[in-house]
Amino acid sequence: MTDRLDRWADPPLLVLASLADEPKHGYAITQDVARTMGVRLSAGTLYAVLSRLESRGMIEPLESEDRRRPYRLTAAGAHALAVQAERMNQVAVVARERLGALRGLAGA
Amino acid sequence: MSAEMPPPAGSPGTSMLARAALALYPAAWRARYGDEVRALLDDSGAGPRTIASLAWQALPAWIWPARHLYDRPARMRASLATVLAAWTALTGLALVFAQLTQAQGLRPASHPVVQWSYWVFDGAVLVSVLAVAAGGLPLWLLMMRSAHREHRRREIAYLLSPAVAPAMYLIVLIATVRLIHPAHGVGPWWFLAFVVLGFAAGGISAAGPGLALRRLRPRGPAVRLAARAAGVAVAAMSLAGAASIVAAAGLYSWAPQYAGYHEGWPLGIYLPTVLLAAAVAIVSATRGIRAARPTAAA
Repeated sequence: MTDRLDRWADPPLLVLASLADEPKHGYAITQDVARTMGVRLSAGTLYAVLSRLESRGMIEPLESEDRRRPYRLTAAGAHALAVQAERMNQVAVVARERLGALRGLAGA
Repeated sequence: MSAEMPPPAGSPGTSMLARAALALYPAAWRARYGDEVRALLDDSGAGPRTIASLAWQALPAWIWPARHLYDRPARMRASLATVLAAWTALTGLALVFAQLTQAQGLRPASHPVVQWSYWVFDGAVLVSVLAVAAGGLPLWLLMMRSAHREHRRREIAYLLSPAVAPAMYLIVLIATVRLIHPAHGVGPWWFLAFVVLGFAAGGISAAGPGLALRRLRPRGPAVRLAARAAGVAVAAMSLAGAASIVAAAGLYSWAPQYAGYHEGWPLGIYLPTVLLAAAVAIVSATRGIRAARPTAAA
């Protein structure tokens, strides 16, 4: 049950979050997501997500001299990420408050 | 730019399996992302999980193609050409089914499942043919006018193939039957020959408009109407295919005396062929309908 809660960390969100600080190519995104968010994105999932995000104008490819093309967040992608991050923050605040109350009850 | 660097040389190269999995993607997708994915595989290695993930994600890449990779009218034209080929195959299979069952002149009234399957089959085939006629005729006329105006004789011949090829087939069929004078219907080998010849005629009928679509490159409302009608036609013909499978399985199980065959192998060929043609038609029609949506970005 706990593992299935990982599904709320959608791969598109992870990729947007990874690109929020600087442009990255595919391998750099997988490394960054694994290191900072603890999720391993496979090549198939990563490029399905990159294709979808590019199609929706949330990321854009940059010029590259080799095969490793970097991507950067667009304004639309930054906005979508900010909205989603705010929602997740609200969930986190509520969850922490109620967990705190639950522990308080258990300790009483 | 990120400082993330790939691991040092010595990491396993892109495996043959990973390349095979990448080959499952649509050509436009591979042209855009293929090199990047190969670079990622070179950097990270291609284990079984990666290969499975690549192969699995190829399916949505076909069903929901990324809009930025395609010119919408080109996507619709490609979809229409594929749908027409698959729909023609399904129609041919439906005719074979009807010839081997309903055309035998006997209907198993005591088996309601078979009887209902016949009715669903008949109705769905009728709807499908009407959808093809209603959706295809405006596009056919548009292309014919364009080919005629530009004096493109080859394209005119392509566009006439859906009428000429079946007519030629019927002439050959009638002449052959008169020549061999079958006392109790044609034998199984003649029937098989007629079926093969019929599918060849169907292939020519479908290939002609497909080639005309590619060469004349029509655009506009007629193409969108045809793409939507193709969806209806494919849905109805797939329903007919499903009904025919139920009826054929029912006949084989309960009343083989009412079918033109008494062994299981025709069903063993018929069933997967219908499923394959229906799967190709459904996937391609879905891609065409998505491209025809007014909100879709090019």
